[in-house]
Amino acid sequence: MSLTGVRHTAAEWWQSDIAYRFRRSPIAILAALVGLALLAAALGADALAPYDAFDPAAANAADARLPPGSEGLFGDYYLLGTDPQGRDMLSAMLFGLRTSLLVGLASVMAAGVAGVLLGLVAGYFGGILDAIIMRAADVQLSFPAILIALLIDGVTRTVLPAELHQELAVPILVAAIAASFWVQYARTVRGLVLVERGREYVLAARVTGVSTARILLSHILPNTMGPVLVIATINLALAILTESTLSFLGVGLPPTQPSLGSLVRIGNEFVFSGDWWISALPGLLLVMLSLSVNIFGDWLRDALNPKLAT
Amino acid sequence: MSALLKVESLRVEIAARTRILTAIDEVSFEISEGEILGVVGESGAGKSVTGTAVLGLLEKPAYQAGGRILFGGQRIDTLGEDALRTLRGKEIAAVFQDPLTSLDPLMTIGDQLVETIQTHLPLKAGEALERAGQLLAEVGIPAPRERLRSYPHELSGGMRQRVVLALAFCCEPRLIIADEPTTALDVSIQAQILDLLRRMCRERGTAVMLVTHDMGVIAEATDRVAVMYAGRIVEIGPTATLLVGASHPYTRGLMASIPDMRRREVELTQIPGSMPRPDAPVSGCAFHPRCSIAEARCSVERPDDVVIGPSRVACWFAGDTSRSVAR
Amino acid sequence: MGFVLGRLGQTVLVLLVAAFVSFSLFRYVGDPVNNMVGQTASLADREAMRAALGLDDPFVIQFFRFVGHALQGDFGISYRYGQPVSALIAERFPATLELALISMLIATGLGVPLGVWTALHRGHWLSQLLLAASLIGVALPTFLIGIALILTFSVWLGWLPSFGRGQVVSFGWWSTGLLSWSGIRALVLPSVTLGVFQLALIMRLARAEMLEVMRADFIRFARARGLRPRAIEYRHALRNTLVPVVTMIGLQFGNVFAFSIIVETVFQWPGLGLLVIQAIQFADVPLLAAYLVLIALCFALINLAVDLLYVAIDPRVKAAGLVGRAA
Repeated sequence: MSLTGVRHTAAEWWQSDIAYRFRRSPIAILAALVGLALLAAALGADALAPYDAFDPAAANAADARLPPGSEGLFGDYYLLGTDPQGRDMLSAMLFGLRTSLLVGLASVMAAGVAGVLLGLVAGYFGGILDAIIMRAADVQLSFPAILIALLIDGVTRTVLPAELHQELAVPILVAAIAASFWVQYARTVRGLVLVERGREYVLAARVTGVSTARILLSHILPNTMGPVLVIATINLALAILTESTLSFLGVGLPPTQPSLGSLVRIGNEFVFSGDWWISALPGLLLVMLSLSVNIFGDWLRDALNPKLAT
Repeated sequence: MSALLKVESLRVEIAARTRILTAIDEVSFEISEGEILGVVGESGAGKSVTGTAVLGLLEKPAYQAGGRILFGGQRIDTLGEDALRTLRGKEIAAVFQDPLTSLDPLMTIGDQLVETIQTHLPLKAGEALERAGQLLAEVGIPAPRERLRSYPHELSGGMRQRVVLALAFCCEPRLIIADEPTTALDVSIQAQILDLLRRMCRERGTAVMLVTHDMGVIAEATDRVAVMYAGRIVEIGPTATLLVGASHPYTRGLMASIPDMRRREVELTQIPGSMPRPDAPVSGCAFHPRCSIAEARCSVERPDDVVIGPSRVACWFAGDTSRSVAR
Repeated sequence: MGFVLGRLGQTVLVLLVAAFVSFSLFRYVGDPVNNMVGQTASLADREAMRAALGLDDPFVIQFFRFVGHALQGDFGISYRYGQPVSALIAERFPATLELALISMLIATGLGVPLGVWTALHRGHWLSQLLLAASLIGVALPTFLIGIALILTFSVWLGWLPSFGRGQVVSFGWWSTGLLSWSGIRALVLPSVTLGVFQLALIMRLARAEMLEVMRADFIRFARARGLRPRAIEYRHALRNTLVPVVTMIGLQFGNVFAFSIIVETVFQWPGLGLLVIQAIQFADVPLLAAYLVLIALCFALINLAVDLLYVAIDPRVKAAGLVGRAA
């Protein structure tokens, strides 16, 4: 057992308050199941997709814009129809889902690590470091996340040559989204650190000569994980939405790398000709993903904060 | 004196997640016209819940599960919200613990007084304002007319509690439920507020249910005392009687904890242990784990009320003088 | 005043940071001379251009010259359009402002009352339904809402136009779509699309704040004063709820500007958002730089307006500003 007593066995966890609340909430269970199913579909895209969405040879221009349930010229069956290049929608959506989820998870992780570290540092050391970090957070917070991501993407697009930018599209996108989400972690963690810093176990650790880094990482950090988890879940939904929005606007991922947002973008041109499925189906998948993560995050926040529960 | 407020076998329960907890159990007491009844006990003993129940302000998950509350001979715990509302503020007023949070921060104290007065009395705006000014003067606020235009944050804590008293007295209520009215204040101001409350009640013949955990307040301001422990009244009787010769061992412990200037050599007594919480009730007499005179039956059977002179006590050994002396 | 001054300092800081980033972008991304005189110009021409533009001056002087020009609204010539950036922005600005204002009006006008109502009727089925709907509203990406609305109301039902501003009426450099039937019809889908997320957000916030306030001590005290439920809910609870909600709505206004980029793309709305998205895609640096400064200015002004509004509606802030943090 650690000093702070945050580690539990699986059985203890099952008995815990949060597990109890989870078992009693059908909506949270449903959201979690849908979310996990989507994650599994994304990870298994290679095996599940009937066609390779990245292989131009697999796309057949003759089969362009076929409605769901059509049979192609060469006997291919398209369960969810095809896009303007004759790509199988189902396959493109599975790969798009994978891209969207990966970018979302990666940017949440990047933002979380950066935000938590900055928050720990600001809260524990205080002084000038604290002032600088928190002032930067204030300034950053007065701009909407989507705008920051948009501008970062725009700036890198002007700075880097086109080919290099396309190659680095994913890391740039992750960095752009992460850069707009770190503030919330930093603020929350800093607040928690200010409280924890004065606690007896921290003082005791300091008196017995435990190093600062160790106090921060093994004593204070575990106590900030609950709120950080809530922020991360809600931010995951936001990050996925931001990525899809940027890709929809045509500034996120290049067309060669389909994400749900860029698939909707492709289909958007054909909405007027009545070919609704090209944008509606990836859109629907995106809504399912966003809703399940959002609902789960909403539930998690209420469950971890009984004061707000109604 | 006739009973103004009569509480009979009041029972309040709290619906927790998996089971029902008992907050108040079989609580009975009376308050006569103009009488100041102190209700004392540790925090969590059920004092405030009792006061809230009388006001009809119990909120989910707490609810009244049994008993009756009579005011002026009429049952009020079965009244509808509307009838109860016309009673609250007019016949039964309240003073809460923290004057900082009792007042609406966005409204001038004049407006808060006027709205209360006009809710209950058929006065025009000008007359109500006039009355509001008089009330502020009466509770000892300097330059009352100018203060009517002040916001709560512009007043000190003591001044704010005076405003709360003015609000309580503004429709000449017959009963005031004062829930820890001085606890949140500076020690130097506590006595002033308590004195003001007592003086105004005596002048108007207003009865008070004074909830407190401070035995000093009890000794100073009350006519009778009800001592609560774990949701029950363990002893109730005239303050003078209880101060000198309480029958319940818990009351004796409390009384002994009042610092007495005359008997400085007597050390402050602390009762060892802590009160059982509603989620972990104790069998028999709830006090038995901490009681110095408890015997086997105390942990099994709950003691009935025994009347001793003007007092009522719930202890198996009440009236057994050999035990009460042997401390 | 300390409060206002502090906020003013932060505002200036934000503006300077934005100006600095904007300047760095302008000065160091690509070669401005290349962009202006083209690849074919002679070396002498280039040198003359460099000198004329002051590109050989020290960094600080260049920065302040940039700020000086920016203050006069001079951001140079757009690479893509070959027109002054300021003229382009002035031409597009009214369309975006109109869209933002109308959608914020929808979001606030519906969001606050719905939030308050759902807070007051927590158990009601409609309240539960609205709460679920608001969660969907927060989770839906704006561009999908736009596409769904176009698909439904333009493509299938054919009721409303799906792109452009319709007929606009001009007053000098200002143009408005509010004075013609086609302009109003064109505004419906974009403003609803832009408003949905804000509506859901404002509703959820108003609900949460209202629930928080309804738990406050002064609400309990207001009930103990016997005030009518209507007075408690609307005079006390609602007013206290509105203070933070108004602040949030003001700050959301900035978000609406950002989200208008999405809506303008979906509906081909000829506003700033469409302009900036094209600027990003075509690396139109002067336009991007100007947009950055403009958006920072907008945010600064909004923040300032919200702070001033805060001082106006909350008496506590006024006092804190005048006497400092003495109390």
